[in-house]
Amino acid sequence: MLAPGGILMVLVIVIPVALALYISLVDLDQYTLRQWISAPFIGLQNYVEAATASPMFHAVGISVSFALIVEVITLPVGVAAALAAQNRFRGRAFVRSVFLIPYVLPAFVVGTVWRTMLQPNGVVNNLLDVVGIDGGLWLNGPQSYWALIAVQAWSSWPFFYLLVLSGLQSVDNEVHEAAAIDGAGWWTKLRYVIFPYLRGPVALALIISFLHNINSFTLPFVLFGVPAPTDVEVLPVLTYIASFQSFRFGLSAAMAVFSLVLIAIPLAIYLRAVKLDTGDEGPKR
Amino acid sequence: MTLELDKEQHIEAAPPRVPRKDDPVMRLLPRPLMVAIVAVLMLVVLVPLLYIFMASINSDVSVARGDFWPSEITFANYASIWTTVDLGTGLFNSVVVAGGVAVVCAFVAVSMAYVLVRYSFFGRLTILRALLALQSIPGTLILLPVFVIFSSLSTIVGVQIIGTRGALFVTYLTFALPFSTWVMVTYLRGLPRELEEAARIDGASSWLILTRIIIPLSWPGIVVSGIFAFLLGWNDVLFASVMTNPETRTVAVALQVFGATAEGGAVPIYGQMMAASLVCAVPVVVLYLVFQRYLVGGLTAGGVK
Repeated sequence: MLAPGGILMVLVIVIPVALALYISLVDLDQYTLRQWISAPFIGLQNYVEAATASPMFHAVGISVSFALIVEVITLPVGVAAALAAQNRFRGRAFVRSVFLIPYVLPAFVVGTVWRTMLQPNGVVNNLLDVVGIDGGLWLNGPQSYWALIAVQAWSSWPFFYLLVLSGLQSVDNEVHEAAAIDGAGWWTKLRYVIFPYLRGPVALALIISFLHNINSFTLPFVLFGVPAPTDVEVLPVLTYIASFQSFRFGLSAAMAVFSLVLIAIPLAIYLRAVKLDTGDEGPKR
Repeated sequence: MTLELDKEQHIEAAPPRVPRKDDPVMRLLPRPLMVAIVAVLMLVVLVPLLYIFMASINSDVSVARGDFWPSEITFANYASIWTTVDLGTGLFNSVVVAGGVAVVCAFVAVSMAYVLVRYSFFGRLTILRALLALQSIPGTLILLPVFVIFSSLSTIVGVQIIGTRGALFVTYLTFALPFSTWVMVTYLRGLPRELEEAARIDGASSWLILTRIIIPLSWPGIVVSGIFAFLLGWNDVLFASVMTNPETRTVAVALQVFGATAEGGAVPIYGQMMAASLVCAVPVVVLYLVFQRYLVGGLTAGGVK
C-alpha cells in the first residue's frame, strides 16, 4: 500500500532532484533542450558562473536577510496576538477567525492586492500623505525590499500566532494559580512562568517559517513581476528567471541546487527536533 | 505543534482549558493592553481586506488615484471578470485539478500512513523523515527537471503533456503527498489499535481493515489532508505559470493575466483585478473558516504553505 505514493514521489521528486543535479553539470539552453541527454558536459562550470558571474550571492543575501527580518517582525506580533486571544472575551471567536485570514489568503491574491495598493499613487501612499509622509516608490528601487518584507510579514504573522496559541494550551491551570498565589504581576508571570513554555513552539516556528520565507516564490513573483527589481531578486525568482526568461537551464539548475545547500542546516535542525515516532525518542519539552 | 502536543491536538485544536468564564487567575495580559493589541491587529488585517472589497466596486480611475472609498459604486466589475480574462475557465481548471488532487491524495495518504504507523519495517523512520524533508525542497529545483521530463516524454509518446491538466495533476499530487501523509500519520497514531486487532483475530485482511475500519474512523484526518492538497494546487503559481496554456490555466495564473491586460498606457483594470482576487480568495477562506478547528492543528503540525 506504500507503493503507489512511493512510486509517485520517486518519479516526481527524487528523479527530478537527481536530474537537476545532472542538468547543473551540462550546458543546457533552449537550443539543446530537446536533446538534453546529449548536451555537452561542462563539469562545475555552471556553479563557477553562478558564483562569480551571476547575481546569485546577491540573491542569497536578499533571501536570507529577508527571511530573518520577517521573522524578527512577525515573532513578537504573533506572540502578542496569541497572548491577547488566549483569554476569553466577547467576540473572541470572531477575532480568532479574522487573525487567520491573512495567513490563509493565497499568496497570489496577497501579491495582487498589495501590488495595487502599493502603486506610486496608490492607496498606501495616499494614506501616508494624510499623516505627512511621502511614501515614494514601493515596487521599484531600494524601498521595494521593505515592501516585500512588510507584505510577507502581514501575511505570515498568524503562523507564529497559531503555534504560540497551541503552546499556551500546554500551560496547566495550576501553573496560573501558582503564579497568582505568589502574587506575580502580569509581566513577571509572562516572563518567568509562561514564556519558558513557549520556547519549544517558538523555536520550531522560527525554523519552519525560515524555510518557508527562503523558498517563497509566489509573493515576490506576483508583487513585483519579472524581471524583478534587483532589490527583491530573491533566489527562487532568480532561478526562475534564469530558466524561463534567459533559458540558461544549466545555470539555473546550479542555482537551484545551491538553494538546497541554503536550506540544509535549518532542515536538519527541524528533522532532529520533530518527533518521528510513537516511541519515546525525540526531544522532551 | 508536532513535538509537544498530544496526538489529538494535531488535528483538533483543543479548546483552551479555561475553567470559568474570564477567570482573573488565567489572565495573561492586563485588560487595556489586551484590548489594544486586538484592536491594532484587527485594523491591520481588516483595513486591507475592506480595501479589496471597496476597490472591487470602484472605478479603475478612482483606484488608480488611490481612493479608499469608491467614488461611485458599481458592481459591473463582478460581471466583466468572466469575459475579460475568462476567469470561469480558470476556476473550472483549478477546481478540477486541485479537487482531483485532494481526493486522490487523501486516500493514497491514508493508506501510506496506515502502513507507516502500524507496521515496522526497515527504512520506516527514513521514510517518515523524508516526508518532512520533501516538503522543504524548493519548487524551483523541481520545476525545470519536471519540465524537461514531461517534454521528453511527449516527444517519445507523441502526445502533448505540458499544458495539460494531467501534468499539473500529477505534479501537485506528488507535492501534496508528503504533507498529507504526514498529517495522516499524526492522526492515525491517535487511533486505538484494539479495533484492528479484533478485526485481525476475526480474520480480516489488511485491505479489509484499511477500508472498513481505518478509513471510516479517520474522516476528520482525511478531510484535513484533502483540503491541504486542494490548497496546494489552488495556490500554486510556479508550476501553473510554466505548465499551462490559456485553456488549462488555473485561477492563480488567470488572475495574473488581469494585471497584464492593461499594462502600458491605459489605466489597469484594477477594479476587476480586485473583484477577481476576492473570487479567488473566498473559496479558500471559507474552507478554512468552516474547517478551522481541524485545519489549525494541521497547519501547526507541519507548517504548510
